[in-house]
Amino acid sequence: MTQTDTRSQAPETGRRLNTAKAMVEAIAQEMERDPAVIYLGEDVGPYGGIFSSTTGLQERFGKDRVIDTPISETAFIGMAVGAATEGMRPIAELMFADFMGVCLDQIYNHMAKIHYFSGGNVTVPMVLTTAVGGGYSDGGQHSQTLWGTFAHLPGMKVVVPATPADAKGLMTAAVRDDSPVVYMFHKGVMGLPWMAKNPRSVDVVPEGEYVVPIGKARTARAGTDVSVVTLSLSVHHALDVADKLAGEGIDAEVLDLRSLVPLDRTAILESVGKTGRLVVVDEDYHSFGLSGEVTATVADEDPTLLHAPVQRVTMPDIPIPYAHGLEYAVLPRHERIEAAIRKVLA
Amino acid sequence: MTEVPFPPLDETHPDTEGVLVTWYVADGETVATGQLLADVQVEKVDAEVTAPTGGTIRLLAGEGSELRQGALIARIE
Repeated sequence: MTQTDTRSQAPETGRRLNTAKAMVEAIAQEMERDPAVIYLGEDVGPYGGIFSSTTGLQERFGKDRVIDTPISETAFIGMAVGAATEGMRPIAELMFADFMGVCLDQIYNHMAKIHYFSGGNVTVPMVLTTAVGGGYSDGGQHSQTLWGTFAHLPGMKVVVPATPADAKGLMTAAVRDDSPVVYMFHKGVMGLPWMAKNPRSVDVVPEGEYVVPIGKARTARAGTDVSVVTLSLSVHHALDVADKLAGEGIDAEVLDLRSLVPLDRTAILESVGKTGRLVVVDEDYHSFGLSGEVTATVADEDPTLLHAPVQRVTMPDIPIPYAHGLEYAVLPRHERIEAAIRKVLA
Repeated sequence: MTEVPFPPLDETHPDTEGVLVTWYVADGETVATGQLLADVQVEKVDAEVTAPTGGTIRLLAGEGSELRQGALIARIE
């Protein structure tokens, strides 16, 4: 079942936040509700997270529950895994997803496997938050999304919010989930003052308790001509392009996957069944990843749903350039999304 | 009527200009006391502006405006 977003049709009333503040609000509410919830990572204390993921939390909940750690991702993610097996509900922040390389054993051999190895007797109810994505000249080892890599390794749920409301609702769901959940927030959707202005990073966020179920895609824009299946910052770009093409009579549907694991294959098939045309927009690398998985979902179920070959708008299989012009050339931005939509409709 | 100024973040250099980064409310909206109104930035320091009182807000500066600290950014009627 796809959840259709009605916020864009309704008048914009209600309290607005940017994505970073919405994420912090969910963490604070869960820490308030459950003393077993703690947050640990590098610069998450007085600094508030380098991408404002923890602003004000240490001031409010103290140093015992919001813990600044030394620069050893293996140590503090391992601490979180151990604490989770003993009944805590830790949230560990890996500052950049790109740094997974120094701590991957704790993530995929421990966090993701203990539940299975114990025959289901030991759960690991932790959240691994991490910043992803490029577009601001931070170089090839600070700009990757890598969600396909996490999703490829069994045993972890992987959620990727695109909007302020989803940032809150998916964080609440992730903290309460008894499985390990990797929560990947794109720096370009956080609404940070020092990043490029992104009007879609500020929107109405429900007050009080708000849960978005993990594994349900969201129709960000309903349409009939082509299905643009995407996630994270690319949802914002796809909506911009869809709005532009609507003026020409092209009615694009934009499906925000919201999570890779579980993947809402039903929503993909429903949308493609309606439009017959598929464009996948994925900021992760082109090969062996999400864009291929989405395409295979249709091919496995019923390739006759497609009236045209699938178009994939992705990151080429190269390290992401530092130079701004070169970086924009490889990112799946508006021009490439528009060209793919036109090609699949040609 | 209550005036909402750009907050003084740099007290040693009160003439330093800052940027009004984000409005979280629209012109003419009803706001409540304590509600988040805006993010501002001076040099590399960010701060939130919250409503000192409730009422109808009138925005007097656009996003991206460069303003002196203390300059009027909104009125609440």
